[in-house]
Amino acid sequence: MTPKTPSPARPKTSGVPTVSIRTFITPRDSTRLAPRDFTRVIGTVGAIIVSTLVLVAIFAPLIAPYDPSIRAGAPFSPPSAEHLLGTNDVGQDILSELIFGTRVSLMVGVVAASAAMLIGTTIGLVGGYFPRVGGIIMRGVDVVLVLPFLPLLIVLSTYLGRSVLNTILVIAFLIWAPTARVIRSQVLSLSRRDYVTAARSMNAGDGYIIRRHVLPRTFLLAIGEFVAATSAAILLESSLSFLGLGDPLQKSWGSVLYWAQARGAFLTPAWQWWVLPPGVLIMLAALGFALLGYALEQKINPRLRRA
Amino acid sequence: MGPWRFFLPRVGQYAIVLAVAISLNFFLPRLMPGSPLALLAGVEPSELTQEERQALISEAGLDQPMIVQYFRYWGNVLTFNFGKSFRMNEPIGELILDRLPWTLLITLTALLLSSLIGIALGVLAAWRRGRASDVASLNTMIALESTPSFWLGMLFVALFSVTLGWLPSYGAVTPGATLSPWETIVDVAAHAAMPILTLTILSVPGIFLTMRYSTLSVMGEDFIRTAQAKGLTNTQVLSRHVVRNAIVPVSTVIALRLGFAFGGTVVIETVFSYPGLGRLVFEAVSSRDYPVMQATFLVFTIAVLIANTLADLLYPRLDPRTRT
Repeated sequence: MTPKTPSPARPKTSGVPTVSIRTFITPRDSTRLAPRDFTRVIGTVGAIIVSTLVLVAIFAPLIAPYDPSIRAGAPFSPPSAEHLLGTNDVGQDILSELIFGTRVSLMVGVVAASAAMLIGTTIGLVGGYFPRVGGIIMRGVDVVLVLPFLPLLIVLSTYLGRSVLNTILVIAFLIWAPTARVIRSQVLSLSRRDYVTAARSMNAGDGYIIRRHVLPRTFLLAIGEFVAATSAAILLESSLSFLGLGDPLQKSWGSVLYWAQARGAFLTPAWQWWVLPPGVLIMLAALGFALLGYALEQKINPRLRRA
Repeated sequence: MGPWRFFLPRVGQYAIVLAVAISLNFFLPRLMPGSPLALLAGVEPSELTQEERQALISEAGLDQPMIVQYFRYWGNVLTFNFGKSFRMNEPIGELILDRLPWTLLITLTALLLSSLIGIALGVLAAWRRGRASDVASLNTMIALESTPSFWLGMLFVALFSVTLGWLPSYGAVTPGATLSPWETIVDVAAHAAMPILTLTILSVPGIFLTMRYSTLSVMGEDFIRTAQAKGLTNTQVLSRHVVRNAIVPVSTVIALRLGFAFGGTVVIETVFSYPGLGRLVFEAVSSRDYPVMQATFLVFTIAVLIANTLADLLYPRLDPRTRT
């Protein structure tokens, strides 16, 4: 027989980074890995990384030694007491660029992920709660999932032009689909529970059931999805900026790397202070949100916990 | 019907994906604010006289009703007529055919390598679940998933080309060199080594995580206990029963990774100035060469669909349960 429901191990995605983090959890892990401790460690590490970065973003003007937009020293200076990470090709302080870049990178990640979560949750909710319409909607979701991801992102941002808002819109428009699938399967299972049938038999309306029985149990899952999506969005933003498609006035970590690449910094010793630090920051941010998302999901998703 | 019952709905879905991609290509430049002339003919309207502008508009068919333009566009796409590049004034079809082999070389090699590494490590980690080596490889893979690949590529250049001097830092061949056939192979391999390495690292975590998960769920099945109970050695259980079953869902993931790898080439080929399709996308984006950008997007879409179709065809062969 042809399987009617696609098994979870057979994702139809052209490779959105957020989906695979879910594949860590297996029935056997729970007995061998003391998952509660493992989850706690991972969650704590993620929380520390994320909160540090958020603090840096908030207090950027206080921490940064220079205004990143001004010429603060001789171009291409190596690290010194005045410029801890040296200066770039126009004499801007690289450390200050990175500190202020935290704002742009985090904001794009968080806002794009929030928008994606909103779209994904709405579509997943409708798709799961109204199975007939849902089937058609999920076909559309599958189409979005199959389109080659990064190339489409590039095409869209090229047409829209370079601005922070456009970057956010484009990323949000492309990363909601996996969220929609996860939310939908949760809603599908929730809306078939006995208490929903009971409520319906007592003439409860759809709006009431969704508000009272479905949304509260989906909301937390959506938060886990949101944190994981932030990680993906931060990586995507860095790729776009690296290709020169970021906002020219709002430098992010990715655009620092774009200029490092354009000026050939990785062919000189400058890679140690111009290439290494921004990449480490991108990696830390993506990792921090991914770990946090994983820990939240472990705590939240009842299906995973029961297993 | 046989396998077709599984396959036919998929074909329909892929046709829709292709139609969506082609329609996106058609509508995006026409719905953007400003004159579509800049996007479709590569000229700023303000630089032209009224007559020149009119001539260009009718040449590009922009004076026709939208629906006529739309069908004409489909006709062009289906006959592989993508027009000319704004920047290089060359037929786009030829440009793409020039670049495609290089991209195929690095993506397919990287896919092969990452499948072998991902599957082997995934089985190993699952077999040693919960132990130090499993946790260590899991953590490494999570960290790799969060690493921007282009940054990794830049570090590789700094390390292997600049510091150690082992590998060339850009291009696909040494320009202007006359080489024997054997030297040519070495030269091509040396140039492809770092892009392949970077792409492989990009793809391993996804395959590893799926293989590990899949192996773990197979190991929980009753028939594995039966195999162990009848006295098979661990190696026999692993090779005959566990891996054979666990590899089924992974095969799909590998095919789908091809689409992901193609996307990854855009940033990776940019880092290494590797003359493939991904680099072509970057060049087209930097110079606002919209037709080239659109055509490459379409080629990427078709590649993803081919990979999906292969996966669909492969699936029933690997898993007899899906045959009817």
